[in-house]
Amino acid sequence: MTDLKLQIIAQLNLQDLKPEDIGDDQSLFVDGLGLDSIDALELIVLLQQQYKIKLANADEGPAVFKTVRTMAEYITAHQATNS
Amino acid sequence: MYIIATANISPQNTFEQNEVLKNIVEYNSNQLTCIEPDYKSFIDAKLIRRMSRIIKMGVTAATKCLQNAGVSQPDAIVTGTAYGCLEDTGLFLTKMVEYNEELLTPTAFIQSTHNTIGGQIGLMLQCHNYNNAFVHRGFSFESALQDAIMLLQENEAQNVLVGAIDEITNTSHTILSRLGLYKQGNICNSNLFAKKSKGTIAGEGSSFFLLANEPTENNCAKLNALHTFYKPNNVSEIEGSINNFLIENAILLKNIDLIIVGKNGDATNDDVYEELEKSIFKNNVTINYKHLCGEYPTAAAFALWLATDIVKEGKLPAVYLKNELSENPIKSILVYTNYQNIHHTLLLISAC
Repeated sequence: MTDLKLQIIAQLNLQDLKPEDIGDDQSLFVDGLGLDSIDALELIVLLQQQYKIKLANADEGPAVFKTVRTMAEYITAHQATNS
Repeated sequence: MYIIATANISPQNTFEQNEVLKNIVEYNSNQLTCIEPDYKSFIDAKLIRRMSRIIKMGVTAATKCLQNAGVSQPDAIVTGTAYGCLEDTGLFLTKMVEYNEELLTPTAFIQSTHNTIGGQIGLMLQCHNYNNAFVHRGFSFESALQDAIMLLQENEAQNVLVGAIDEITNTSHTILSRLGLYKQGNICNSNLFAKKSKGTIAGEGSSFFLLANEPTENNCAKLNALHTFYKPNNVSEIEGSINNFLIENAILLKNIDLIIVGKNGDATNDDVYEELEKSIFKNNVTINYKHLCGEYPTAAAFALWLATDIVKEGKLPAVYLKNELSENPIKSILVYTNYQNIHHTLLLISAC
């Protein structure tokens, strides 16, 4: 989870944040970390670059990118399917 | 028209009012890099993370210029840039190559366009007024300035925020070096004109001006005229253009206190200026400015900023030797500068 947080910080250039500043279950968007639609695009790119995962269905986005934990679970599930 | 306020981020100390050109900042390199201010005082922390260096320099200089003018919403925002947001452009192109053209980094791609800075200024100010960006190589700033002048002359706007922004990145410096633009090896910018050799030094900058039709209590200067000409065949043509410009503006060279010229240390490029200094400029005091900011396509904006500062203060900044000038305040300045002997610019500035 910490690695994923580091990747998110780097991808989104969240300069003042450390992994421990982002809660596992903290909402990433709006009232949580305050990310927006451009950040969502960056997160899609992150999944593809780091984990070779293409988000096939855009409707899945809100659920996948809800928190760091939901992202991690999605990555783990995808890696298990592909292994 | 009047220059109400300015702000300038450059390789010299030009941003903080109390430090303006007190001492020359020396670089032992063929690349001069801007001295950047603390952006957090000017840009929301949430916005900063997404901005590349040139965007931060652009919006900060624009914000400071408006603050200096006491204006919150300009009637128009006009920017000029030759290279645009090169860092973002390089980033998304590199990523595209790295990922076999399958992936695009969204932020870098979105912000790579030449009108990003004007757009960001408008967004930050929530200003929905006229917003335009000009990308015309060595005439990018001049085109923006011409647009601003016309907006004011035609009463489309009462004040216009106009600026020029260009950056040099490692990638662009490498490419332009291959084209032979810059001197080989390291050189001190203070000694740029000491020895004749090929090439110049790379520069960059972000200069903004608030222009208005009507004077205010805090005017910096009066911008009397702008003229550009393209690829003159020889020095005689340049002399002719300068003479015509002066006649059109009803001023004689003997009544101009100072001429700012655009020598850049390139032997071929500087021949033009040296011939002019022996002919029509021979009785005038001339000063150079590109050893301060380096050479870049919108460097004329630095010259306009410098001229504005000089007529506002009435004297040369401390970085210049003053022994050639009389004790009288400097009230009128002619700027003659060119970019690669292709894009030639004349500006006439006077005290208010």
